Amino acid sequence: MLLARIEGSLTSTRKHPSYLGWRLLICQPVDGAGVPNGAPRAAIDPCGAALHQTVIVSSDGAAARLAVKDPLSPVRDMIVAIMDETR
Amino acid sequence: MRFGTVIGRVILSRSVPALEGGRWLIVSPATREGFPSLAVRPPVLGAEPSVVAYDQLGGGVGDVVAIEEGREAAMPFQKPTPIDAINVALVDAIHYSPL
Repeated sequence: MLLARIEGSLTSTRKHPSYLGWRLLICQPVDGAGVPNGAPRAAIDPCGAALHQTVIVSSDGAAARLAVKDPLSPVRDMIVAIMDETR
Repeated sequence: MRFGTVIGRVILSRSVPALEGGRWLIVSPATREGFPSLAVRPPVLGAEPSVVAYDQLGGGVGDVVAIEEGREAAMPFQKPTPIDAINVALVDAIHYSPL
């Protein structure tokens, strides 16, 4: 799974139908100290993460397909947890 | 999903039967530095190699799209299809405010 920080959101009307109604957030992969590495990615968000919160993004398509209730959906990245603190 | 700018289209003359009739876009993936200028015209090419993605939504050159990659890209097809990148969203607006 990927540790990432929410750095924005995106709106799209023309998309695969299984994404309808889902929040699409821009997740910037970060390391433990919060330093960004890599390009920003997008993920569907069932957890209601706010801006600049650190989240955990899972790229397991099977769980994401169950979440969107469409077995033929290409969805893959999904926010599965919001991080409080690291030790 | 990765963001990218469509920089061209691909017409296949010969391909495996599963890929016939498809519509293919060449997408240049966005990098962190190039992200704010994603919608600028003409599109700024990122450093990463471009990706050819299957497209069902009608993306054109210059559009900002979201690409899904990996095994999940072939999920929407009934028959097994050898593709690993699919255009899943034509991005209308990006509200980007990095920390």
